[in-house]
Amino acid sequence: MKRIPPILISSATIVAIFVVWFVVTNGGLVGPTYLPSPQALFWSFMRLLTNGYQRTPLWEHIGISLFRALCGFLLGVAVGIPTGLVTGYNRLADAAMSPVMAFIRPIPPIAFIPMVVLYFGLGEVGKIVLIFITSFNYAHVNAHAGAAHVPIAYIRAAKTLGLTPGQIFRKVVFPAALPHIFTGLKVAMALSWAVVVAAELVGAQKGLGFMISDAAQVFQIPVVFIGIALIGFIGLALNMVLSAAESSIVHWKGR
Amino acid sequence: MSSSLPKIAKIMYRKSAPYLAHVQSRSNVGRAEDKVVLKDVSKNYLKSGSSGDATLAVKSLNIAIKKAEIVSILGPTGCGKSTAMNMIAGFELPSQGEVLLDGKPILAPGPDRAVVFQQASLFPWLTVFENVVLGVKCRGVSPDTYYNRAEHLLDAVKLKGFEKHYPYQLSGGMQQRVQIARALISEPEVLLMDEPFGALDSQTRLMMQELVLQLWVEYQPTIIFITHDVAEAIFVSDRILLMSSRPGKVKLAVSVDESKPRGQEFLTSAKFVELQASLLTALKQEVH
Ligand SMILES: Nc1ncnc2c1ncn2[C@@H]1O[C@H](COP(=O)(O)OP(=O)(O)OP(=O)(O)O)[C@@H](O)[C@H]1O
Ligand SMILES: [Mg+2]
Repeated sequence: MKRIPPILISSATIVAIFVVWFVVTNGGLVGPTYLPSPQALFWSFMRLLTNGYQRTPLWEHIGISLFRALCGFLLGVAVGIPTGLVTGYNRLADAAMSPVMAFIRPIPPIAFIPMVVLYFGLGEVGKIVLIFITSFNYAHVNAHAGAAHVPIAYIRAAKTLGLTPGQIFRKVVFPAALPHIFTGLKVAMALSWAVVVAAELVGAQKGLGFMISDAAQVFQIPVVFIGIALIGFIGLALNMVLSAAESSIVHWKGR
Repeated sequence: MSSSLPKIAKIMYRKSAPYLAHVQSRSNVGRAEDKVVLKDVSKNYLKSGSSGDATLAVKSLNIAIKKAEIVSILGPTGCGKSTAMNMIAGFELPSQGEVLLDGKPILAPGPDRAVVFQQASLFPWLTVFENVVLGVKCRGVSPDTYYNRAEHLLDAVKLKGFEKHYPYQLSGGMQQRVQIARALISEPEVLLMDEPFGALDSQTRLMMQELVLQLWVEYQPTIIFITHDVAEAIFVSDRILLMSSRPGKVKLAVSVDESKPRGQEFLTSAKFVELQASLLTALKQEVH
């Protein structure tokens, strides 16, 4: 028997989903208020592209969500990675930080929403702060783990080569922690994207999260579905960008 | 340190008493021409955390190694060979006694004592060339100097043309040759090798052993070579120290009077075969 290429099987799954979807919606098995047909979704999407949603172009909804997510993500990463590496490498820094981190780590980011609204209001700053907390948390934890688990042989080799503690940190601990750092980046990215949508569900005038919650309230079901699909595709694209960066930077991983 | 240690130590001491006759007498340890000296060294690993047992890895170890000498430390598994080497490297400090380099206590690792590790310790994010020059570069040696040295060493370990490869693109034997080049580039006075060829097949091992001898002729470092392979110990060393089982101490010291470098014909010489037989017998007594 010939081997079937995996890509063919994956394509078959997608085709099957579309066929079932088309049949149940056009055959009247499920009403359009619960599940719009593929062709109805397509036309709604075309209308969204030309008219936008609530007087705001679609690309602006996407853009503002991406802007909030990326700002918070980058700020969180910029603070989380260096502090994680330092606390993972240095016992004293770890002892100083660990009580705070141990407390913050298990709190779901969404739980910070009321506090952030109280301190920073419902505007941009509050949303970005919320995503910053999320991103910082995961970037920090993973960078910490990476720095704390550098194989002892690397550290010993570096010491016998005469590297100073600072050089060991920059030239050994940091690169050795890169696989962990990328794990942290991917989780932080995924959660930043999830949290921006959650933050936009309440008190936002623009953004994909606003679009889907607002559309649901006025029963524009196709818009809700398109919004969810867009959130999924963009999340996937962001992950793919990071995975590509990972495999070119951490080229030794798993070898 | 745990208060029960002296008692354990005494029991261990008595157990190993029959071998004491062979142990180097303390008086000839630590003369001026000695490069590395272990004086009455004991190492007790304390269990971290709860009050579990401590492990006495080596006890009253006396070793003196002359400048430019190649000494093999041979012994059964777990007898404390790596422990002894780690104290010379400065990775561990002795619980008792002194570990001296040129008469001064060893307190930390440093570039005067290069180490070739058994396991992969090359940095996978650096190329072969970058691995070899990392240490000298970080210590501020001028690029002119280290480029020349690296080129020469990579040629000597037969890795010309692999400068831009990453460690994972090399075979195990090639990786160990990179480690040797990385160790020798700082022209260390002492080269520590802990079962450097343990993971290699016997043909590759023999090539590596010959390489070590060739490089010794050129650089003349003091080499401390740890192995549990009797033939390897005889082939590479001027002197072999046979350690007893844990807590390790030197049970027997044997000199190998043969000029260096040595070729494969040495392996079949009467001298080699005779030494091998007597060492194997002595080693067998340690592995019950
Ligand atoms: N870091 C450590 N902490 C606690 N015990 C240790 C530690 N390192 C070694 N030991 C113990 O000390 C003893 C000697 O270990 P060592 O690694 O020196 O043996 P070895 O002679 O190198 O053995 P092998 O030939 O298997 O490498 C062993 O019983 C080991 O369990
Ligand atoms: Mg060992």
